[in-house]
Amino acid sequence: MRIKSFRMLKRYAAVTCIIPVVLTVLLVVTGSSIAAEVLKVGILTPLSKTYAPIGQQVRWGIELAAKQINAQGGIAGRQVELIFEDSEANPAVATQKAEKLFQKDNVDFLTGTVNSGATLAVGQIAERNNKLIATTVSISGKITGSGCSPNVFRVNAHAGMQANALANWLAGQQPGGQVYYIGPDYEMGRNAVASFRKQAELNKLKSVGEVFAPLGNNDYSPYFGKIRSSRPDILYTSVAGNDTVRLFSQLNEYNMLKKLLVIGASVSVTSQNITAMGNNAENFVTVSGYSPELDTPANKTFVSDFNAAYQSNPDLYGADSYGLLWLYKAAVEKAGSSSTEAVREALEGLTWDTPQGQKIMRAEDHQAQADLFVVKVKGGKFVILDGVAGDIAIGKDTCKHF
Amino acid sequence: MDIIQFVLVPQILNGLTIGIAVVLVALGMTIIFGLLDVINMAHGEFYALGGYLAISLLACGMNFWVTLLAVPLLMLPVGYLTERFFIQRVFHSQDRHILTLLLTLGISIILQDIFKLGYGPNTLRVQMPISGGTEFFGVFLPNYRAFILVTGSLIILGTWFLIYKTSLGAMIRASAFDKEMAGSLGVPVRQIYAGTFAFGVALAGVSGVLLAPLYSVFPTMGHDFILMAFVVVIVGGMGSLVGTVVAGLLLTQVQSISSLFISPALAEPLVFSIMIVVLIFRPQGLFGKIGTG
Repeated sequence: MRIKSFRMLKRYAAVTCIIPVVLTVLLVVTGSSIAAEVLKVGILTPLSKTYAPIGQQVRWGIELAAKQINAQGGIAGRQVELIFEDSEANPAVATQKAEKLFQKDNVDFLTGTVNSGATLAVGQIAERNNKLIATTVSISGKITGSGCSPNVFRVNAHAGMQANALANWLAGQQPGGQVYYIGPDYEMGRNAVASFRKQAELNKLKSVGEVFAPLGNNDYSPYFGKIRSSRPDILYTSVAGNDTVRLFSQLNEYNMLKKLLVIGASVSVTSQNITAMGNNAENFVTVSGYSPELDTPANKTFVSDFNAAYQSNPDLYGADSYGLLWLYKAAVEKAGSSSTEAVREALEGLTWDTPQGQKIMRAEDHQAQADLFVVKVKGGKFVILDGVAGDIAIGKDTCKHF
Repeated sequence: MDIIQFVLVPQILNGLTIGIAVVLVALGMTIIFGLLDVINMAHGEFYALGGYLAISLLACGMNFWVTLLAVPLLMLPVGYLTERFFIQRVFHSQDRHILTLLLTLGISIILQDIFKLGYGPNTLRVQMPISGGTEFFGVFLPNYRAFILVTGSLIILGTWFLIYKTSLGAMIRASAFDKEMAGSLGVPVRQIYAGTFAFGVALAGVSGVLLAPLYSVFPTMGHDFILMAFVVVIVGGMGSLVGTVVAGLLLTQVQSISSLFISPALAEPLVFSIMIVVLIFRPQGLFGKIGTG
């Protein structure tokens, strides 16, 4: 009996002496975490479904930038933490996950949205939560045009900028050529076709027809009859992701790749789907804000770092997503704070370095101004045919909301 | 003339190849429904599994034609075991419809994630085994589509022959009509159930291989394709072979030809409205079940 209670006393003493130790450890841990609170960046990007290949590049680009920034001591002394969510390229899913990232994870900044519809919807949620977002992929003109928001930024070129440059090049190659348009039936697909069509017609090219197939369409051959009977010289496509793989292999099946000059939006052929397409993507021409073939020291370092980390070449999305985190770093450090108002003010008019050169974030509509390149697929690579200066391509500011 | 040669005839031919593809996928589903009274929500993923098995076998250096035979054979044990180990566990419960629906839905989600983990989210392409095309009177038909048209029709006819003209088929139909009676007459009902499920799954697998060169292989391929197959099964009369073929060819023609005149995005709602009309006026579908008549 005595022995038993003595033992209990001993155990009690052991427990009581552990408590202050635990408390001290806790204090030190929380203390140090308060001293260098992490900056949370939410990445809401399609990790599954048809746009997964694009989301993969976004993820790689951001992760590489975060790794390099954290190794250099972070943003203004704070480490960057990335929180990923799968948007499934579906605006309904994206809005739910965006609420979760803002409300529950309390992210300081959000990026990664691919589908233009999702970017527009998430932009509204950002406005309500008083947070900033940026897209590195969405090309709908609406995002920094009629649907612009003080809380939304874009670092990539939009459809109008691409269309300007591509139509200019095309008019020089095939003056008066007949163009047929094919796109996925949603915001981006229709917007890309509409803006290219406008520019093509301004450049005296003839439009002979257009068709919009549902997103994730399996078989494009039902539209080929209409295309053939319109007798176009040029096929413009804004079909993207896995859908492009099917479109091109079916065009090849019906012997149409040989007869047509196929051009399109930069989202159509990317380094992620190009391997799945084999020879079918040869000679495809597009305008892009980036090519891994770019011959500058900054890009060479970026490409070799990217290859070392992921055994794959970066594409436009990888490069733009990589560049975005450096823009955010520059803005937070310039602002000296991560508050929404301060960072917004710092971002407006900011000039920063990216693998493809210097970019300027235009204050009036939050659209980045950058040089563009006309590129052609040759031997599975994007070969640069021509360059277009950023200030010519960007066009007028059409944003009226701020 | 231009419109007939360039648009209408190719459109009908195209619709026919897509129709055969849809019927092939729907066929296994309809047999499983007709016999087991189980709506197999995982059927699309078994179709995808066929595509992925083909990718793996081709990567091992196997020839496409061998793959086309090997994949359905590999799918047979998969289907058999799925029926014995999963479906049978809930088959005799009161809420069989709901439980099997949820069970197969669960299997479909798991399979989709396995594809994503094992093969990555990107599209994988299968090289076209027959290239080129044939042109007659200005109408162009790719050779591989012609091959699908013929092979698909043969598979459909073979299935019909098996179910309606052989003694095994008679046992299947008897088990579907009245399993107690069939059992008491010596039909091995449990083996028939598992075997038929395996056969349906193998049909999905062979469709996966056949269509891989056309539609490529990616994790959600089954999910994207199965909706149309579902509509076909419902309109044709759940469990009717003839109904599946008729509804499959009819609905894909509607979709194909209507997309000439209306926006393709509206062609899909049109097909679904046909399904709703059929459900309202003829809820049993256009034709009857396997076990009846």
